[in-house]
Amino acid sequence: MSRTVLIQPVTRIEGHAKISIQLDDAGQVESARFHVTEFRGFEKLCEGRPFQEMPGLMSRVCGICPVSHVLASSKAGDMLLGVEIPPAAEQQRRLLNYAQILQSHALSFFHLSSPDLLLGMDAPPAQRNIFGLLQHDADFLRRGIRLRQFGQRVIELVGGKKIHPGWSGPGGVQRRFTSAQRDEILGWIPEAAESVALALERGKRVLDSFRPEIEFLGNFPSLFLGTVNERGGLEYYDGSIRIVDGRGNSIAEKLDPKRYATYLGEASEDFSFVKFPYYQPFGYPQGHYRVGPLARLNVAAFAGTPRADRELREFKQRGAGAVCESFHYHLARLIEMLHCVERIEELMANPDLFGETIQAHASLNRREGVGSCEAPRGTLFHHYWVDPDGLMTRANLLIATAQNNRAMNLAVDQAARRFLKPSAAGGEFEEGMLNRLEAAIRCYDPCLSCSTHALGQMPVVVEVFAANGDLVRRIARLPDSQNV
Amino acid sequence: MRTVLIACGNCWRGDDGAAHRVLDLLGPDSGAQLRSVQQFLPELADEIAQADVVVFLDAAIDCDALSLEAVREPEAPPALTHVSTPSEIVALSRALYGFQGRAFQCQIPAADLATGEGLSPYAEGFAGEAAQILLDLLGHPAGKTVQQAPAPEAPGTA
Repeated sequence: MSRTVLIQPVTRIEGHAKISIQLDDAGQVESARFHVTEFRGFEKLCEGRPFQEMPGLMSRVCGICPVSHVLASSKAGDMLLGVEIPPAAEQQRRLLNYAQILQSHALSFFHLSSPDLLLGMDAPPAQRNIFGLLQHDADFLRRGIRLRQFGQRVIELVGGKKIHPGWSGPGGVQRRFTSAQRDEILGWIPEAAESVALALERGKRVLDSFRPEIEFLGNFPSLFLGTVNERGGLEYYDGSIRIVDGRGNSIAEKLDPKRYATYLGEASEDFSFVKFPYYQPFGYPQGHYRVGPLARLNVAAFAGTPRADRELREFKQRGAGAVCESFHYHLARLIEMLHCVERIEELMANPDLFGETIQAHASLNRREGVGSCEAPRGTLFHHYWVDPDGLMTRANLLIATAQNNRAMNLAVDQAARRFLKPSAAGGEFEEGMLNRLEAAIRCYDPCLSCSTHALGQMPVVVEVFAANGDLVRRIARLPDSQNV
Repeated sequence: MRTVLIACGNCWRGDDGAAHRVLDLLGPDSGAQLRSVQQFLPELADEIAQADVVVFLDAAIDCDALSLEAVREPEAPPALTHVSTPSEIVALSRALYGFQGRAFQCQIPAADLATGEGLSPYAEGFAGEAAQILLDLLGHPAGKTVQQAPAPEAPGTA
């Protein structure tokens, strides 16, 4: 008798989702899917509002990566005004994007993924959390918290507050960067650099002990998409889009992010509220691609900072042209953290950052604007249409997590086929098996609040369905849930 | 006594900003360290470590009376996600930084969480009440009092 297994919701990700696994009559995995079960429709909220309000409004999409939404929204506003913003404003935006990526990656690595990585996939759930990690290595955790604090502090210093900073808008930014801010940021740099270096060394050691997970938690060829600068280097704020395939071959170069709609399509599947973006020339699903840290390191020829460049060269040795193992998102995140710390330090010596002119003033000059940047989880696009009065008539947000949607589905499917054993057909699933399925998702650090624009967190429930749809077993994995 | 008051909520979602309103009413000379956040996040564990008293303030849609209660320790190790709870933050701070103070959670009744700025009269009244209670807790520094709003009416009875 075939049946369906549901892991619902998935833990240590942001948002509501579930995993369902369909077993065949022999108890073998037939298919597995990652379902996103929330919907908010944030684009609808902005209709009728002035486009100048969008950065503030859109930052509410997410409490983890609000800066990314502010930046993409501000850039869409820049295009609507038809202006080139002053260098000081651009450097401030770059600074906050680095800080944003640093703090988000620190949360992902130290808080959400380290319990798996340092305590093991098969550790009891009661221990496989941040408190279990605390018993294992409290100093490691403290460093993670401090790294996040550093990123958040930079955002607060420059943006005015840690979450949903409203300092940037169409045409530039609102406040000048000061030498006092520089001095405080520089004061954090040595500790941050040391913590990232230690985490990176440890991460490399630990990750290499997860050979089965590296091989089977989402190891497949795909396209990779990311922003690069004019020399093909790692870029987060402004540049062109580059796409490579699973062997690192160039598929597309110097694509204009403002014209994303001409080369990226969005397919729908009936089991998810999140769409499935793809590279149009290849069609769907052949044109599915991945974004985020792994994709950025695959498309970038170099990082542009000394230590990150060394790590990137070493990282690229892990693949044949491109690194395809989803598990290496963790390592890519660590390298990006290192790069961000280096870039933040560099920026403190950049005189452009201290410029007095921080706003380009103009009235509405276009009816359509697109802004893009690299968010922690991947390339982010905001696309706005306005009426002659500058009131929003339509918006489209293409979010990083959505672009990884198909990849997450493939990762879950592969993990289920490898780690859910036929011996579990009686309904007894070892915790480590189920955790590996979630770990496949956590590689992508999905932010479903962003991709569907809803809020939430969740316990885990595994549901087993018979072929006729009857619920035959429900396994709860958090204290506030019940086994039935 | 070092007191930290942490307000959580989204000021663009109506009454969800009630906790921030409480801090506004208290003002910078309240005698406490005031923190406004959109979400309770892990790094607060470090920030409260040296406090004698910490109060987490948040709006609550599912209660009809102001409450100030001790934060309960988690019954089992919590699985931290992108967002933490006061209980998790206190547990983390005790374990990681040796926090030895007392922690409280203040829930402010909310009626309207629709998109928009400003509180409903209902939540505004409770915010004033919460501010007065916290001033009492802080020992009325400089004889400060909060201008008490009219007694709150339940939503729909106005």
